[in-house]
Amino acid sequence: MLKAIYRIAWKDVAGDLRRRATLSSMLFFAISVLVVFQAAFEPDRKEAVRLLPGLLWATSLFTTLVGLGRVFQAEEEDGAFEGLLLASVPRGVIFFGKWMGNLLLTLLVEFLILPLTMVLFNVDGWAQIPTILGILAMGTLGLTGLGTLLAAMTRGARSRETLLALLLLPLTAPLLISGVQAVAATLTQEGEIGPWLKLLVIFDVVYLAMTPWAFTWLVEE
Amino acid sequence: MNILKKIQPLVGLASLIVLAVGLWYVYQAPADFQQGGAVRILYIHVPSAKMALASYIFLTVASVLYLWKRHEGADILAEAAASVGAAFTVVTLASGSIWGKPMWGTWWAWDARLTSMLVLLILYKGLMVLRHSLDDPVKGARATAILAIVGAVDLPIIHYSVVWWRTLHQPPSLAAGANADIHISGPLLPPLLILSAAFILMGLYMVTVKARQIEASRHLDALEAARLHHDD
Repeated sequence: MLKAIYRIAWKDVAGDLRRRATLSSMLFFAISVLVVFQAAFEPDRKEAVRLLPGLLWATSLFTTLVGLGRVFQAEEEDGAFEGLLLASVPRGVIFFGKWMGNLLLTLLVEFLILPLTMVLFNVDGWAQIPTILGILAMGTLGLTGLGTLLAAMTRGARSRETLLALLLLPLTAPLLISGVQAVAATLTQEGEIGPWLKLLVIFDVVYLAMTPWAFTWLVEE
Repeated sequence: MNILKKIQPLVGLASLIVLAVGLWYVYQAPADFQQGGAVRILYIHVPSAKMALASYIFLTVASVLYLWKRHEGADILAEAAASVGAAFTVVTLASGSIWGKPMWGTWWAWDARLTSMLVLLILYKGLMVLRHSLDDPVKGARATAILAIVGAVDLPIIHYSVVWWRTLHQPPSLAAGANADIHISGPLLPPLLILSAAFILMGLYMVTVKARQIEASRHLDALEAARLHHDD
């Protein structure tokens, strides 16, 4: 089972690393979001520290949406999706594979954005980078899980990208709130980080348990 | 769905009567010591907030039934409940806003319950849009039902997270115990209970009308598809 998850995830990641299609468009989309934020808020150094957690999460969220639009792109043609479903593993395992592939790509982009954001907005939080990366990873786990399910749900839908955003943004409100608060607490060394991490874990566990089942129902004929 | 046709006039009449009685009580109820006449907005606000949530519970049950039994009736009820729930959510947000301006001095505050309600509204909208953006109606129905269940699991987490995040809204007053700071007493309670009953009946009536309309529209679509097929 682990092997199947790995194979499905790796087919997506390796394919993308070779074509650099999703990865580079996500990265440059993220950079342009940062430019937009800078132009919109023009924060000074003090404001930048306050804004950074929100900036980071908003950028990650929008970037994830770009990636999610393409999760099932490889399966779009020649009945490849049906082919994937025919694999002799439970459907939940197939879902995990797609999820992990998307998670890896998204994390890669986020890990590149974090130092970039600190440089572009002149925030000195280099010592906190490992903790912030950990928080980003925890949030992104649940985010991409729910996102991959919604991407499967909206396969073949009209104006799909807009629909994905409409569905994903309200449901991920807890993630965004706790992620922003946790990063803010880490960066300013004020306030408690524990409750927010707990909330992230709750969100992750709920979606780890629920989304594979939901996917199984979704693709059942 | 024949039963809907039978109960529709009954439920409609009952909701009209209870609504009239309730509004009469609201008219008779004394103005609040602090809030003045504006307190009367709450007689609309509280029942519609309860209905906004109750519609989601109804929608979830219908969605589970649809996924489990594959009965189209459950799907029609789920679709109807989504638009009715969205309507109640809009009423809740609007009436709360009108009440909030004189009471809190602002139309909107990013408080826990306001934020949850706004998220609920977006979720209702998402459910309505998802169904119609898939070409295959069966796929649309199944995706919508699954999204409804995902939302049902997510809503408590959303609520929990925003409660931690922001709390300005007064604690719930109807269910609170005797030691609560804020409570509703005496002549203010009967109109609230009667109007809650009226809103439940009204919600049922709206779901009935909407469900019958959806059923008719699906029937028309099927006839149209059959005609096109015949012409070919």
